Amino acid sequence: MTAISMGGLAVRVQEVPQRAAQVALPAFADIVREHQGMVFSLAWHFLRDRALAEELAQEVFLELHRHLAGIQSPEHLVFWLRKVASRRCIDQTRRRAFWPKFGLDEIPEPVAKNRQNDPMLSRTLNKLVASLPEKARAVVILRYQEDLDPSDIAQVLDMPVATVKSHLQRSLEMLRDKLARSVGEIAL
Amino acid sequence: MSYLDEELKIALRREEPPADFADRVLARLNQAPEPSWWERLSLLMRPPRLQWVAVTVMVSVLLPSAGVLYRREMQYRAEGERAKQQLLFAVHVAGSKLHQAQKKVLDAGRMDSRI
Repeated sequence: MTAISMGGLAVRVQEVPQRAAQVALPAFADIVREHQGMVFSLAWHFLRDRALAEELAQEVFLELHRHLAGIQSPEHLVFWLRKVASRRCIDQTRRRAFWPKFGLDEIPEPVAKNRQNDPMLSRTLNKLVASLPEKARAVVILRYQEDLDPSDIAQVLDMPVATVKSHLQRSLEMLRDKLARSVGEIAL
Repeated sequence: MSYLDEELKIALRREEPPADFADRVLARLNQAPEPSWWERLSLLMRPPRLQWVAVTVMVSVLLPSAGVLYRREMQYRAEGERAKQQLLFAVHVAGSKLHQAQKKVLDAGRMDSRI
């Protein structure tokens, strides 16, 4: 038996795997509340569509509920959520031919040069990230939203570490070039 | 850490979904589970089902119609084949007659030249 402790509640998921749904339901709400920000943000940054991101995040948690018996620890839970959310985001993008919704040329050039938190620059970066190919996008989002290092990203996305590093390097070069063209004075 | 790294961290920071997100997930959990493909198939198999009635009606209408169309097509083809054979025969007869006429003309020409 494995117990996952979430906010003081123990989810004894492997005790009765067949009836995990009924047993885990009260604690499951706490699991959702604890991780909804992470899952929703992954989808939101990936898809740039709040309704779609919310729908996808809900689907991830529904899938988690079905697979709760297989979750072995809180760390495994976080890993599982990141993996499933990323996979679903990539699938969603491929299925609906979402990419490229933002062509690089359509993105407005940032005008401010302020090094403090610049909402305009953040918005532009968000759109630039959303214009990346899906795997590169997933790598960048996991790197900067979740603060994962390349080996962790490689595990989440089931790809070699070298590929992750390559995606990251190329994506950063592209983002840097695009930004440098418009805000040349800022040392990137 | 570069300026771009910092900006990306800010741009891609976590955001919370709507306040009732968890409630909506739980509400969806409480809904009847979506039937799997074999459950849907077994539902279709359970008589009497409107789908089966519709399928039966369609099959009983479409099959005879298809049969009639097929027979008509076959008749057209047979008639076409017959007409083709007749045409070929007529061309053959006309050709041989023409050949005979040409031969007679040539023979008459030769006789004239001897005279």
